[in-house]
Amino acid sequence: MPSSDFEPLPMSSSEATATAPAAASEQTNPIRDAIAQAIDEHRVILFMKGTPEAPACGFSARTVAALQALEVPFAAVDVLPDARIRQELSAISNWPTIPQLFVDGELLGGCDIVTEMYESGELAQALAEATTA
Amino acid sequence: MPSAQDIKQRIESAIPGAQADVEDYTGGGDHFRATVTATAFEGLSRIEQHRLIYAVFGAEIGGPIHALALKTHTPSTITTN
Repeated sequence: MPSSDFEPLPMSSSEATATAPAAASEQTNPIRDAIAQAIDEHRVILFMKGTPEAPACGFSARTVAALQALEVPFAAVDVLPDARIRQELSAISNWPTIPQLFVDGELLGGCDIVTEMYESGELAQALAEATTA
Repeated sequence: MPSAQDIKQRIESAIPGAQADVEDYTGGGDHFRATVTATAFEGLSRIEQHRLIYAVFGAEIGGPIHALALKTHTPSTITTN
């Protein structure tokens, strides 16, 4: 059996979960690779503090609420179990704060932008395109 | 610990033509809410507008500044709202 020195990302999702690479040399960055893969594999994925059922931060809670109000299925990754998830995520996205919502592989925004887009109807439109495309 | 006034001045001096309203909404010097209007935002996506502001503070975001909630406008969007 290949051994892994990295736990899979702590995903909670109604969709399939991402798995981390089974083995990694010291030169590779398995956390960054796992994050990039998760973003790639899920049309709508939210990196948040806590879980959709138990958000650990008001900003994450508000973002989850917007997604749930639109009844859009989304994958979620809790960044809290390992500080490296947040570091690597921000390195990939060039975005310093949590939550971060990705749609079709692109950063849509954090709590402020997602809330603004929800209120204006743009979020429903962006997610409809993501789920039907 | 930065004050709302510090945050406002830093945004306004770093971003050309920016006008910022900043509120320390917990009073603790670490959670801020800013509304920023700047001509520098013209032609940029919302993500890019927010990145410009985050860039003013670098690693302080998520460090001493726990939260900086943002709303951005260009002078043209503010007149139509």
